[in-house]
Formats: sequence, structure tokens, C-alpha cells
Amino acid sequence: MQAKKLTGKIAGIGAWGSYFDSWEALQQLLGGEPLPETKNKGPKPTIIPANERRRAPLPVRLAVESSWQATQSAGLEPDTLTCVFASGLGDTELTDYMCKTLASEHKELSPTKFHNSVHNAPAGYWTISTGTMSAANSVAGYEESVPLTLLEALIQCVTEHKPMLVTFYDAPVADVLKPILSNQETFAFSLVILPVDAEIEGIEVTAEVTAAEQPNWPALQSNSDYITSMYADNPSAKILCLAELIATSNGSKSVTMPLSQGTSVSFTRT
Amino acid sequence: MKIDIIDYETCSAAGLNLKALRTSLKHHDSGLIKNNLPGSDLDTWIGIVEQLSDVNDLGRWQSRNNALAALGYEQGSIRQTVSAVITQYGAARVGLIMGSSTSSIDRTETAYTKLDESGQLTEEFKQPLVHNPHAPSLFMAHLTGITGPSLTINTACSSSAKVFATGARWLESGIVDAVLVGGVDTLCLSVLHGFNSLQLLSPNPCKPFDQHRDGINLGEASGFAVLQRSGENSNSSGISLTGYGESSDAYHMSHPHPDGLGARLSMTQALEQAKRQAAEIDYINLHGTSSRANDLIEGQLISELFPATTQCSSTKAWMGHTLGAAGITEAIIAMDTLNTNIIPGSKNLETLDEALSLSIKATDQHKVCQHVMTNSFGFGGNNCTLLFSRSE
Repeated sequence: MQAKKLTGKIAGIGAWGSYFDSWEALQQLLGGEPLPETKNKGPKPTIIPANERRRAPLPVRLAVESSWQATQSAGLEPDTLTCVFASGLGDTELTDYMCKTLASEHKELSPTKFHNSVHNAPAGYWTISTGTMSAANSVAGYEESVPLTLLEALIQCVTEHKPMLVTFYDAPVADVLKPILSNQETFAFSLVILPVDAEIEGIEVTAEVTAAEQPNWPALQSNSDYITSMYADNPSAKILCLAELIATSNGSKSVTMPLSQGTSVSFTRT
Repeated sequence: MKIDIIDYETCSAAGLNLKALRTSLKHHDSGLIKNNLPGSDLDTWIGIVEQLSDVNDLGRWQSRNNALAALGYEQGSIRQTVSAVITQYGAARVGLIMGSSTSSIDRTETAYTKLDESGQLTEEFKQPLVHNPHAPSLFMAHLTGITGPSLTINTACSSSAKVFATGARWLESGIVDAVLVGGVDTLCLSVLHGFNSLQLLSPNPCKPFDQHRDGINLGEASGFAVLQRSGENSNSSGISLTGYGESSDAYHMSHPHPDGLGARLSMTQALEQAKRQAAEIDYINLHGTSSRANDLIEGQLISELFPATTQCSSTKAWMGHTLGAAGITEAIIAMDTLNTNIIPGSKNLETLDEALSLSIKATDQHKVCQHVMTNSFGFGGNNCTLLFSRSE
């Protein structure tokens, strides 16, 4: 069977990291502006009620903040969107807490930390905070988390004709796991992707899967050390190659990412 | 939407494979035993796969979770079926979607008990492809030779139900010609002590929907199914996925919505997609964890949505709640009734919860079913319902 044309319309973007707190701020860094002198504190997404927010782990706050920005910039109510949340590494701080506690003599775990340790905690907090009852997926694809999740969201957008929210987030890795999972940067990014016939303006993007042997990641246009090292080590920051495509309308029209051992996926502005 | 189930296999405490599970179901032999997991002294019952301790040759892929995936993949004809679709369509046109809640955290737990003097990982445990949430699919891609897209769904206890929905969409979009979907979760201290912290574990064999139920038993399982677009493979199992529903409770991280609003949505969506009325559903394999809250809410919802002719049961008293593997384990039990014509009873049910009035019995029933459903609900209020039908 020939693949369906997988086209969606990007109608909202959100972003949060140590040196940017919005898509606009990230675009400036991608455009070569110097880093701000101080790191951001937070994030503190106000959509999560204060008592819940205090207990919410960093990956949850990252994902919810970035998701909220994207829905706001699209001008859409969050509860109208079907969501896919993705993290390549999960919440390693909670993994570290659980494994340290369980390796000790007293194995009592905090019930809140235990239920927050599920990979779909950000999807849970998001749907609870916004009253979203539509499907919320939570996925992982290690270094290919970004292309796999984008594809999953576009496929759902096209085959089920649903407006989608897709959010990527990865937080710094806990010390013990650092030698094998090197990410030390905080990064979250969200896209609202609508069916092409939606009556909201947006950037049309078409995905195409092709066979490829051991494909590689493309180089970024940015030469900022901060941006390029984040792109190398933070699985969610792999979205930056698509972010550059979206940020510059007069540059390249297409970016190709590795999808699996035997396939790659290209995203083309149409 | 119509997706054919080409082949399926399951591995749990109730049976190393589908054939053994059918025998356990028929004789009402439970695989649950008193908790004997090393390092845990919790007073509860577990569904442990005894043969798992023999699988220790996975090298850099070693983890209990990967071992259970490997053991499950050796059962029945699933490996041959996957090899055949790879030969026919090419490895890059076959997709892989695994569901799990623990991934390989069992291995991370072990690694933390063997840190060196300075608190660092020791050489044996420096396994980046194991200590991450995508581990089950990374390992299965390695084991099967599938080189098409491979994704892991981690939505707690609905994970390996949702793999069917994503698999169906991938096939419908045409990016692949066949998909291996699966689920795997293993017993480890995180889940035992985690569920204990929520006071959800029972010190007795679980009794889903019983008036005197007092909590859940945890288990471990792996399961696989090969999916293709309807009619494209003449060696199909005769069963089709005809509907799915996915929803969120928007209520609480670890407590179901008191009126079951999210669960209602996922069940009605599955019916709508399959273009079926509730009265056409012959059997529902319930989520039925044996917790006070789940069974009450799910049971009330079933009697609201379905007539008394729809038979229901929870099969968790056979192998325990296998968490991220429960979705596919129970999908297989549900769809297999279309082959065996036996609806399994709700094991350990003695006195139905007084607040409930659904059609649920402890004994098996012989019936030629046409349409069956299964529910899976997870933490974060994450719900999935699957509907399987006899292929036309």
C-alpha cells in the first residue's frame, strides 16, 4: 500500500529551557543572539494548581509549561486537543530516588513519588490541570524520540482527523546514570498540529518515511555551543533541526531525521 | 477500520505460552503464589514466571524485563510469523510497538545495589540501551531484526492495550505493511513497594468484583501480536481488531474518576469505531484489578452501558495484575474466546459486590462469540478499550 500523505498544520509552538522561556526567546538564540547572563528559574506553570505544582517533578513542569504556551499561541482550548507526550530518558531523578530507597534497608517509598514516577505523569498532570478527557499518549524512542513522536502525532492527525498537541521534554540526568545517559540540559518543546483543513493559520508540514541504512542526524545551522551540545545530548532537543526549519521561512524547505535502523523521515514545508 | 490479527502469543504465571494458558484457564489453575521475590518481604501474592531465571545470556541487553520479552518471543509460532512478514515485505516495512510501565527498571534497581565504593555504576551495568524507557523496543528490534519504526508506549497499565491503537493507525497510514505489537512488564521492587505505599496490595489471592476483595496482586507477563491490514495475509488468525477507544479521566494521578467518565468515553469510542451496539458485545474482559475503587466504578459503568446478555469477567486471579503487560495479556484472553468458544469465569469470585449487578460468574460459559472487548485503565487516568470481532 502506498503511504497516505501525512500533512499537518503547525498552529502553535511552546518552548522552555535554561536560557529561554518561550519560542520567541529560543528563536533569538537560534538566530545567533548571545546567551542571557543568568539561567531561568522554574518553570512554574500556573495552570497546575499551586499545591500540586509544589510536588510536581521538573519533567512534569517542563512539559506542562511548554504545552500551555503552544495552546495559548494557537489560541485553542487545551481540552480540544489529543496529546502525545515524549521523553527519551524519562524522569531519572525519580528513578534515582526509587532505586536508592529500594537498595537501602528501609524500602518505604513515598506514594506521591511512586505515582509521579510513571512515564505518563506529564500527560496525567496536563489532562488533570486542563480538564482534557481526550486521548493522551506517552511514548519513548530513546534518541529517535522526536521523529517517532512527530510521526505518531501526524498519523493520528491525518487518520483520525484530530487536532494534536505534541510535547517533548527531557531534564538533566541524575548523577549515578550520567556516565551512560549524558544529558545535562533542560529542554521542552511543544507543537499544536492541526488537520490541513482547519480554519486557523499555520505552517504546513508533510512527513514522508523512506528506507535508509543507518541514517545520521543533520547538522544544525546554529553554531552556538549551548544549542549544539543540547542537540547532541538531549533526546528532546533533536527537534531543534525542525525548529530551525520553522523559524526561517527563506531557508531550507526540508529536514531529514533518522527514524529507525532502516528508515528515515523527512519533514517538508509545503 | 479493520485490522487482522495474524498471530498472537502470551507468557505469564498462568502459562508459559498460549497453549498452557488455555489449560490453566480451563482447569481454573491459578499461577499466583505467596510473594517470594528476592529482597521483598511484603505480605502479598504474586504471579511470577518461574522459567525466567534460566534466561541469563542476554549480555549487554540483560534485564529481567528483556528476559521475559525473549522468553515470550520463543513461544508458539510468533517468531516464525514475524520472520515471514520480514521476508515478504522487508525489515524496514515492518513496525514494532511495545508497551511497558517498568521498561527495565528491574536492572536499574539491581545496578544500584552493586554500585562501587564511590557510588558509581559498575562495568556490568553500564547499559545505556537498557536503563531507559524505550528499552523493550530497542531490545525487540535487536532480537527480531525489524528495522522499521519502533516505538515504546509507557502509559502505565494501559500501555500494551494502546499498542494496538497505534499499530492500527500505522497500518492505516501505510508507513508499514505489518506491525509486531507487544507488552512486557516484570516483577521488581519498584512496583511491589510502590503499590504497597498506596495500600493497594492484598495479603490474599485477589478476588476481583467480590464483596470481600481487599486489593490487588501483581504479576509479570509478556505478549505479542502481529497485525496487518485486513485481507492482506491469508494466514490470519480469523480475528480482527475492529475498534479502539482512548481517553483520559482528567481526575487524579492514581485514583479512577468516581463516575468512570474516562472509562465510559473509551468504551463508547470503541463501539462507535466498530459500528456496534453495546448489545452486540458477547464478552468483556474487564480491567478488574480487585481494588475496592476500580471494580466498583468499572462494574457500575458496565451495568449502565451493557445489557445482561454481555458476559463479563476479570482474569487477574490467574496471573495477577501484569501492569504494562496487562493490556495485551487480556486482549489475547478476550480474542482467544473467538477461537475456543469458552468465556473464562471470573476466578475467585464468591459473592458479587452488593453494589453491583453485572453479568459476571465464577464459572466458564460455552458460547460462540462474535464480538468481544477488553478494558485497560492506568495511572494518570489513562484509559484504553479494544474491540475484537470474528473476521468476515
